[in-house]
Amino acid sequence: MRQKLLLILSGLLMLAACESYDCTLYNYVGLYGKFYQDGVEVAIKDTLTITAGKSGPVLLNRQAGTSKFNVALSYWQEEDTLVLTVKGEDYLLRDTIWVTKSNQVHYESPDCPTTYFHTIQDVRSTHEFIKDITVIRSSVNYGTTDNLEINLLSDSD
Amino acid sequence: MERPIIWKLTCFLILISLASTSLQAQNKPKEEEKAPLFSGIAVSADVVGFAMKAVGAKFANMEVGARINLLDKFFPTAELGIGDCSRKGAETGNTFSTTSPYMRFGLDYNFNKKHNGNRIFGLVRYGFSNFKYDVGNEAFTDPVYGTSQPFKMESQKATGHWIEIGAAVETKLWAFIRLGWSVRYKFRAALSCPDEGEPYFIPGFGKNDTNGFGGTVNLIFDVGKGSFNFKKKGKL
Repeated sequence: MRQKLLLILSGLLMLAACESYDCTLYNYVGLYGKFYQDGVEVAIKDTLTITAGKSGPVLLNRQAGTSKFNVALSYWQEEDTLVLTVKGEDYLLRDTIWVTKSNQVHYESPDCPTTYFHTIQDVRSTHEFIKDITVIRSSVNYGTTDNLEINLLSDSD
Repeated sequence: MERPIIWKLTCFLILISLASTSLQAQNKPKEEEKAPLFSGIAVSADVVGFAMKAVGAKFANMEVGARINLLDKFFPTAELGIGDCSRKGAETGNTFSTTSPYMRFGLDYNFNKKHNGNRIFGLVRYGFSNFKYDVGNEAFTDPVYGTSQPFKMESQKATGHWIEIGAAVETKLWAFIRLGWSVRYKFRAALSCPDEGEPYFIPGFGKNDTNGFGGTVNLIFDVGKGSFNFKKKGKL
Protein backbone atom coordinates (compact mmCIF):
# COMPACT_ATOMS: atom_id res chain seq x y z
CA MET A 1 0.00 0.00 0.00
CA ARG A 2 2.79 2.39 0.95
CA GLN A 3 4.68 1.70 -2.28
CA LYS A 4 1.58 2.41 -4.33
CA LEU A 5 0.99 5.64 -2.51
CA LEU A 6 4.58 6.62 -3.30
CA LEU A 7 3.95 5.77 -6.94
CA ILE A 8 0.84 7.95 -7.00
CA LEU A 9 2.69 10.84 -5.38
CA SER A 10 5.59 10.43 -7.84
CA GLY A 11 3.12 10.61 -10.70
CA LEU A 12 1.68 13.79 -9.27
CA LEU A 13 5.11 15.35 -9.00
CA MET A 14 5.88 14.48 -12.63
CA LEU A 15 2.65 16.07 -13.75
CA ALA A 16 3.37 19.21 -11.80
CA ALA A 17 6.92 19.50 -13.11
CA CYS A 18 6.03 20.71 -16.62
CA GLU A 19 4.63 24.03 -17.70
CA SER A 20 3.40 24.85 -21.17
CA TYR A 21 3.12 28.18 -22.97
CA ASP A 22 0.18 28.30 -25.34
CA CYS A 23 0.95 31.52 -27.18
CA THR A 24 -0.61 32.27 -30.56
CA LEU A 25 1.90 31.10 -33.15
CA TYR A 26 0.97 33.54 -35.92
CA ASN A 27 0.75 36.78 -33.97
CA TYR A 28 1.42 39.42 -36.60
CA VAL A 29 -1.12 42.23 -36.67
CA GLY A 30 -0.97 44.18 -39.91
CA LEU A 31 -2.95 46.35 -42.28
CA TYR A 32 -3.35 44.52 -45.61
CA GLY A 33 -3.89 46.49 -48.80
CA LYS A 34 -4.16 45.58 -52.47
CA PHE A 35 -3.90 47.76 -55.59
CA TYR A 36 -6.52 47.85 -58.33
CA GLN A 37 -6.87 49.76 -61.57
CA ASP A 38 -10.19 49.86 -63.39
CA GLY A 39 -11.42 47.05 -61.15
CA VAL A 40 -8.51 44.71 -61.91
CA GLU A 41 -5.69 43.80 -59.51
CA VAL A 42 -2.55 45.54 -60.68
CA ALA A 43 1.12 45.39 -59.72
CA ILE A 44 3.25 48.49 -59.30
CA LYS A 45 6.17 47.91 -61.65
CA ASP A 46 8.61 50.21 -59.92
CA THR A 47 9.63 50.32 -56.26
CA LEU A 48 7.09 51.01 -53.53
CA THR A 49 8.21 52.41 -50.19
CA ILE A 50 5.84 53.04 -47.27
CA THR A 51 6.86 55.13 -44.28
CA ALA A 52 4.96 56.19 -41.18
CA GLY A 53 4.72 59.92 -41.85
CA LYS A 54 7.57 61.74 -43.52
CA SER A 55 10.14 60.97 -40.83
CA GLY A 56 8.75 57.85 -39.20
CA PRO A 57 9.95 54.27 -39.49
CA VAL A 58 10.12 52.59 -42.87
CA LEU A 59 7.30 50.05 -42.97
CA LEU A 60 7.94 48.72 -46.48
CA ASN A 61 11.26 49.31 -48.21
CA ARG A 62 11.53 49.57 -52.00
CA GLN A 63 9.40 46.57 -52.88
CA ALA A 64 9.33 46.02 -56.63
CA GLY A 65 6.51 44.64 -58.75
CA THR A 66 4.06 44.28 -55.90
CA SER A 67 0.29 44.40 -56.04
CA LYS A 68 -0.23 44.25 -52.27
CA PHE A 69 1.33 45.22 -48.97
CA ASN A 70 0.94 44.73 -45.27
CA VAL A 71 2.23 47.18 -42.71
CA ALA A 72 2.02 47.50 -38.94
CA LEU A 73 -0.18 50.18 -37.44
CA SER A 74 0.80 52.12 -34.35
CA TYR A 75 -0.43 50.81 -31.00
CA TRP A 76 -1.70 54.06 -29.55
CA GLN A 77 -2.17 56.78 -32.18
CA GLU A 78 -5.75 57.51 -33.16
CA GLU A 79 -4.66 58.33 -36.69
CA ASP A 80 -1.74 56.83 -38.60
CA THR A 81 -0.14 58.55 -41.57
CA LEU A 82 1.22 56.28 -44.27
CA VAL A 83 3.32 57.87 -47.01
CA LEU A 84 3.45 55.76 -50.18
CA THR A 85 6.31 56.55 -52.53
CA VAL A 86 6.57 54.99 -55.97
CA LYS A 87 9.94 55.61 -57.58
CA GLY A 88 10.97 54.84 -61.14
CA GLU A 89 14.06 55.73 -63.10
CA ASP A 90 12.84 59.16 -64.02
CA TYR A 91 9.85 59.86 -61.85
CA LEU A 92 8.67 59.85 -58.25
CA LEU A 93 5.06 59.71 -57.12
CA ARG A 94 4.00 60.23 -53.54
CA ASP A 95 0.62 59.87 -51.86
CA THR A 96 -0.38 60.00 -48.22
CA ILE A 97 -3.01 57.80 -46.59
CA TRP A 98 -4.52 58.73 -43.25
CA VAL A 99 -6.03 55.81 -41.32
CA THR A 100 -8.29 56.78 -38.43
CA LYS A 101 -8.73 53.88 -36.01
CA SER A 102 -9.55 52.73 -32.51
CA ASN A 103 -7.04 50.58 -30.61
CA GLN A 104 -7.84 47.57 -28.43
CA VAL A 105 -5.22 45.83 -26.34
CA HIS A 106 -5.02 42.07 -26.83
CA TYR A 107 -3.55 40.32 -23.79
CA GLU A 108 -2.90 36.57 -23.82
CA SER A 109 -0.85 35.75 -20.74
CA PRO A 110 2.19 36.96 -18.78
CA ASP A 111 4.45 34.83 -20.99
CA CYS A 112 3.04 35.75 -24.41
CA PRO A 113 3.61 39.03 -26.22
CA THR A 114 0.77 41.51 -25.87
CA THR A 115 -0.36 43.33 -28.97
CA TYR A 116 -3.02 45.74 -30.14
CA PHE A 117 -5.94 45.10 -32.46
CA HIS A 118 -7.51 48.00 -34.35
CA THR A 119 -10.81 48.95 -35.89
CA ILE A 120 -10.57 51.21 -38.93
CA GLN A 121 -13.01 54.08 -38.70
CA ASP A 122 -12.05 56.16 -41.70
CA VAL A 123 -9.48 56.26 -44.50
CA ARG A 124 -8.64 59.21 -46.71
CA SER A 125 -5.75 60.01 -49.03
CA THR A 126 -4.14 62.43 -51.42
CA HIS A 127 -4.59 61.72 -55.11
CA GLU A 128 -1.31 61.84 -57.00
CA PHE A 129 -1.66 58.23 -58.12
CA ILE A 130 -4.40 56.95 -55.79
CA LYS A 131 -7.94 57.43 -57.06
CA ASP A 132 -9.85 56.22 -53.99
CA ILE A 133 -9.70 53.70 -51.16
CA THR A 134 -12.40 51.30 -49.99
CA VAL A 135 -12.32 49.64 -46.59
CA ILE A 136 -13.33 46.02 -47.10
CA ARG A 137 -12.37 44.70 -43.65
CA SER A 138 -12.30 47.19 -40.81
CA SER A 139 -10.85 44.83 -38.17
CA VAL A 140 -7.08 44.77 -38.05
CA ASN A 141 -6.14 41.66 -36.08
CA TYR A 142 -4.49 38.31 -36.70
CA GLY A 143 -6.51 37.99 -39.93
CA THR A 144 -4.60 38.05 -43.21
CA THR A 145 -7.29 39.05 -45.68
CA ASP A 146 -7.27 42.51 -47.26
CA ASN A 147 -8.37 45.53 -45.28
CA LEU A 148 -8.06 48.14 -48.01
CA GLU A 149 -8.83 48.12 -51.72
CA ILE A 150 -6.72 50.90 -53.23
CA ASN A 151 -7.87 52.03 -56.66
CA LEU A 152 -5.17 53.71 -58.72
CA LEU A 153 -5.69 56.45 -61.26
CA SER A 154 -5.72 55.23 -64.85
CA ASP A 155 -4.93 57.01 -68.10
CA SER A 156 -8.59 57.76 -68.61
CA ASP A 157 -8.91 59.55 -65.23
CA MET B 1 6.00 22.63 -24.62
CA GLU B 2 2.37 21.49 -24.80
CA ARG B 3 1.69 18.05 -23.32
CA PRO B 4 -0.68 16.00 -25.48
CA ILE B 5 -4.06 15.37 -23.87
CA ILE B 6 -3.69 11.63 -24.52
CA TRP B 7 -0.59 11.64 -22.32
CA LYS B 8 -2.48 13.36 -19.53
CA LEU B 9 -5.34 10.90 -19.80
CA THR B 10 -2.94 7.95 -19.77
CA CYS B 11 -1.29 9.19 -16.57
CA PHE B 12 -4.68 9.75 -15.01
CA LEU B 13 -5.85 6.23 -15.88
CA ILE B 14 -2.66 4.77 -14.43
CA LEU B 15 -3.30 6.60 -11.17
CA ILE B 16 -6.90 5.39 -11.07
CA SER B 17 -5.84 1.81 -11.74
CA LEU B 18 -3.24 1.99 -8.97
CA ALA B 19 -5.89 3.20 -6.58
CA SER B 20 -8.31 0.44 -7.55
CA THR B 21 -5.53 -2.18 -7.27
CA SER B 22 -4.96 -0.99 -3.73
CA LEU B 23 -8.65 -1.38 -3.09
CA GLN B 24 -8.65 -4.97 -4.27
CA ALA B 25 -5.63 -5.71 -2.11
CA GLN B 26 -7.56 -4.83 1.03
CA ASN B 27 -8.63 -7.74 3.20
CA LYS B 28 -12.18 -8.48 2.25
CA PRO B 29 -14.57 -8.29 5.16
CA LYS B 30 -15.97 -11.61 6.21
CA GLU B 31 -19.36 -10.11 6.31
CA GLU B 32 -20.73 -6.77 5.24
CA GLU B 33 -20.27 -4.20 7.97
CA LYS B 34 -22.97 -1.63 8.22
CA ALA B 35 -22.40 1.96 9.18
CA PRO B 36 -25.16 4.29 10.38
CA LEU B 37 -26.83 6.52 7.81
CA PHE B 38 -25.38 9.59 9.47
CA SER B 39 -21.85 8.58 10.36
CA GLY B 40 -20.41 11.99 11.10
CA ILE B 41 -19.25 15.21 9.58
CA ALA B 42 -15.74 16.46 8.86
CA VAL B 43 -13.95 19.69 8.09
CA SER B 44 -10.66 19.84 6.21
CA ALA B 45 -7.98 22.14 4.89
CA ASP B 46 -5.74 21.67 1.86
CA VAL B 47 -2.26 22.15 3.29
CA VAL B 48 -0.60 22.34 -0.15
CA GLY B 49 -2.32 25.60 -1.06
CA PHE B 50 -1.33 27.29 2.17
CA ALA B 51 2.22 25.95 1.84
CA MET B 52 2.48 27.23 -1.75
CA LYS B 53 1.36 30.67 -0.60
CA ALA B 54 3.83 30.58 2.29
CA VAL B 55 6.80 29.82 0.02
CA GLY B 56 5.76 32.48 -2.52
CA ALA B 57 4.65 30.21 -5.35
CA LYS B 58 3.28 31.99 -8.42
CA PHE B 59 -0.19 30.69 -7.69
CA ALA B 60 -1.99 28.92 -4.87
CA ASN B 61 -5.48 27.69 -4.12
CA MET B 62 -6.07 27.89 -0.38
CA GLU B 63 -9.19 26.01 0.57
CA VAL B 64 -11.19 24.47 3.36
CA GLY B 65 -13.93 21.89 3.01
CA ALA B 66 -16.79 20.28 4.85
CA ARG B 67 -18.53 17.00 4.22
CA ILE B 68 -21.17 14.68 5.61
CA ASN B 69 -20.53 10.98 6.06
CA LEU B 70 -23.51 8.87 4.97
CA LEU B 71 -23.17 5.12 5.58
CA ASP B 72 -19.38 5.60 5.48
CA LYS B 73 -19.85 5.34 1.73
CA PHE B 74 -21.31 8.61 0.39
CA PHE B 75 -19.71 11.91 1.32
CA PRO B 76 -21.48 15.02 -0.04
CA THR B 77 -18.80 17.68 0.00
CA ALA B 78 -18.46 21.44 -0.26
CA GLU B 79 -15.13 23.20 -0.70
CA LEU B 80 -14.55 26.92 -0.34
CA GLY B 81 -11.29 28.61 -1.14
CA ILE B 82 -9.35 31.62 -2.29
CA GLY B 83 -7.28 31.44 -5.45
CA ASP B 84 -4.26 33.68 -5.50
CA CYS B 85 -1.98 34.37 -8.43
CA SER B 86 0.60 37.06 -9.03
CA ARG B 87 2.77 36.58 -12.08
CA LYS B 88 5.15 38.63 -14.19
CA GLY B 89 6.42 37.30 -17.51
CA ALA B 90 10.21 37.20 -17.47
CA GLU B 91 10.58 38.14 -21.13
CA THR B 92 7.48 40.20 -21.77
CA GLY B 93 7.10 42.14 -18.53
CA ASN B 94 3.37 41.41 -18.63
CA THR B 95 1.73 41.09 -15.24
CA PHE B 96 -1.34 39.21 -14.07
CA SER B 97 -2.82 39.17 -10.60
CA THR B 98 -5.97 37.98 -8.90
CA THR B 99 -7.11 37.04 -5.41
CA SER B 100 -10.65 35.73 -5.58
CA PRO B 101 -12.90 33.12 -3.99
CA TYR B 102 -14.18 29.92 -5.52
CA MET B 103 -16.52 27.08 -4.55
CA ARG B 104 -16.85 23.42 -5.37
CA PHE B 105 -19.67 21.01 -4.64
CA GLY B 106 -19.65 17.31 -5.18
CA LEU B 107 -19.60 13.80 -3.86
CA ASP B 108 -16.97 11.34 -2.68
CA TYR B 109 -17.73 7.63 -2.91
CA ASN B 110 -15.78 5.32 -0.59
CA PHE B 111 -14.84 2.06 -2.29
CA ASN B 112 -13.43 0.50 0.87
CA LYS B 113 -16.16 -1.68 2.34
CA LYS B 114 -14.21 -2.37 5.49
CA HIS B 115 -14.54 0.33 8.16
CA ASN B 116 -10.91 0.22 9.22
CA GLY B 117 -10.20 3.93 9.13
CA ASN B 118 -8.81 3.93 5.57
CA ARG B 119 -10.88 5.19 2.69
CA ILE B 120 -10.41 5.07 -1.04
CA PHE B 121 -12.56 7.50 -2.91
CA GLY B 122 -13.77 8.21 -6.36
CA LEU B 123 -14.79 11.83 -6.50
CA VAL B 124 -16.65 14.27 -8.68
CA ARG B 125 -16.93 18.03 -8.28
CA TYR B 126 -18.56 21.01 -9.92
CA GLY B 127 -16.57 24.19 -9.35
CA PHE B 128 -17.11 27.81 -10.18
CA SER B 129 -15.50 31.16 -9.55
CA ASN B 130 -16.75 34.65 -10.21
CA PHE B 131 -13.58 36.68 -10.05
CA LYS B 132 -11.72 39.85 -10.99
CA TYR B 133 -8.20 40.14 -12.30
CA ASP B 134 -5.66 42.81 -13.19
CA VAL B 135 -3.32 42.73 -16.16
CA GLY B 136 -0.74 45.24 -17.30
CA ASN B 137 2.74 46.10 -18.39
CA GLU B 138 4.61 49.07 -16.98
CA ALA B 139 7.05 49.43 -19.87
CA PHE B 140 5.07 48.34 -22.88
CA THR B 141 6.74 49.23 -26.17
CA ASP B 142 5.38 49.43 -29.69
CA PRO B 143 8.05 47.41 -31.50
CA VAL B 144 7.60 49.14 -34.89
CA TYR B 145 6.94 52.75 -33.94
CA GLY B 146 9.31 52.61 -30.95
CA THR B 147 7.08 54.40 -28.47
CA SER B 148 6.49 53.21 -24.93
CA GLN B 149 3.39 53.52 -22.86
CA PRO B 150 2.24 51.51 -19.83
CA PHE B 151 -1.07 49.72 -20.03
CA LYS B 152 -3.13 48.54 -17.14
CA MET B 153 -6.54 46.91 -17.10
CA GLU B 154 -7.85 46.56 -13.59
CA SER B 155 -10.79 44.60 -12.19
CA GLN B 156 -11.55 42.65 -15.34
CA LYS B 157 -14.56 40.47 -14.55
CA ALA B 158 -14.72 36.79 -15.44
CA THR B 159 -16.63 33.67 -14.47
CA GLY B 160 -15.34 30.15 -14.80
CA HIS B 161 -17.15 26.82 -14.43
CA TRP B 162 -15.50 23.43 -14.42
CA ILE B 163 -15.96 19.74 -13.60
CA GLU B 164 -13.48 17.61 -11.70
CA ILE B 165 -13.24 13.84 -11.51
CA GLY B 166 -10.59 12.01 -9.58
CA ALA B 167 -9.47 9.61 -6.93
CA ALA B 168 -8.43 10.06 -3.32
CA VAL B 169 -7.06 8.08 -0.44
CA GLU B 170 -7.42 8.87 3.22
CA THR B 171 -6.13 7.40 6.46
CA LYS B 172 -6.56 7.98 10.17
CA LEU B 173 -3.60 9.65 11.87
CA TRP B 174 -4.81 9.97 15.45
CA ALA B 175 -8.23 9.97 17.10
CA PHE B 176 -10.35 12.31 14.93
CA ILE B 177 -7.47 13.59 12.78
CA ARG B 178 -7.08 12.18 9.28
CA LEU B 179 -4.82 12.81 6.31
CA GLY B 180 -5.95 12.53 2.70
CA TRP B 181 -4.55 12.89 -0.80
CA SER B 182 -6.52 13.49 -3.95
CA VAL B 183 -5.69 13.81 -7.63
CA ARG B 184 -8.19 15.39 -9.96
CA TYR B 185 -8.61 15.81 -13.67
CA LYS B 186 -10.38 19.06 -14.49
CA PHE B 187 -12.46 19.99 -17.50
CA ARG B 188 -13.22 23.66 -18.04
CA ALA B 189 -16.94 23.80 -18.87
CA ALA B 190 -17.33 27.53 -19.51
CA LEU B 191 -15.45 30.79 -19.22
CA SER B 192 -16.78 34.28 -19.77
CA CYS B 193 -14.31 37.15 -19.81
CA PRO B 194 -13.59 40.44 -21.62
CA ASP B 195 -12.53 40.38 -25.28
CA GLU B 196 -9.24 42.10 -24.41
CA GLY B 197 -7.84 38.87 -23.01
CA GLU B 198 -8.52 35.70 -21.09
CA PRO B 199 -7.33 35.35 -17.50
CA TYR B 200 -4.07 33.48 -16.98
CA PHE B 201 -5.41 31.77 -13.88
CA ILE B 202 -8.87 30.70 -12.74
CA PRO B 203 -9.22 30.53 -8.94
CA GLY B 204 -9.86 26.91 -7.91
CA PHE B 205 -9.15 25.57 -11.39
CA GLY B 206 -5.54 26.62 -11.86
CA LYS B 207 -3.80 27.82 -14.99
CA ASN B 208 -6.40 28.68 -17.58
CA ASP B 209 -6.75 25.90 -20.14
CA THR B 210 -9.45 23.61 -21.44
CA ASN B 211 -8.31 20.92 -19.01
CA GLY B 212 -5.71 20.28 -16.36
CA PHE B 213 -4.62 18.27 -13.38
CA GLY B 214 -4.84 19.20 -9.75
CA GLY B 215 -4.31 17.66 -6.38
CA THR B 216 -4.79 18.24 -2.70
CA VAL B 217 -3.27 17.08 0.56
CA ASN B 218 -5.96 17.45 3.17
CA LEU B 219 -5.76 17.59 6.91
CA ILE B 220 -9.18 16.36 8.01
CA PHE B 221 -10.93 16.66 11.33
CA ASP B 222 -13.82 14.28 11.93
CA VAL B 223 -16.30 16.11 14.09
CA GLY B 224 -19.92 15.52 15.06
CA LYS B 225 -21.60 12.99 17.30
CA GLY B 226 -22.31 10.49 14.62
CA SER B 227 -18.65 9.96 13.96
CA PHE B 228 -17.77 9.25 17.63
CA ASN B 229 -20.84 7.09 18.26
CA PHE B 230 -19.90 4.99 15.27
CA LYS B 231 -16.47 4.31 16.75
CA LYS B 232 -17.83 3.57 20.24
CA LYS B 233 -20.04 0.86 18.82
CA GLY B 234 -16.86 -1.08 18.12
CA LYS B 235 -17.36 -1.43 14.42
CA LEU B 236 -13.90 -0.23 13.54
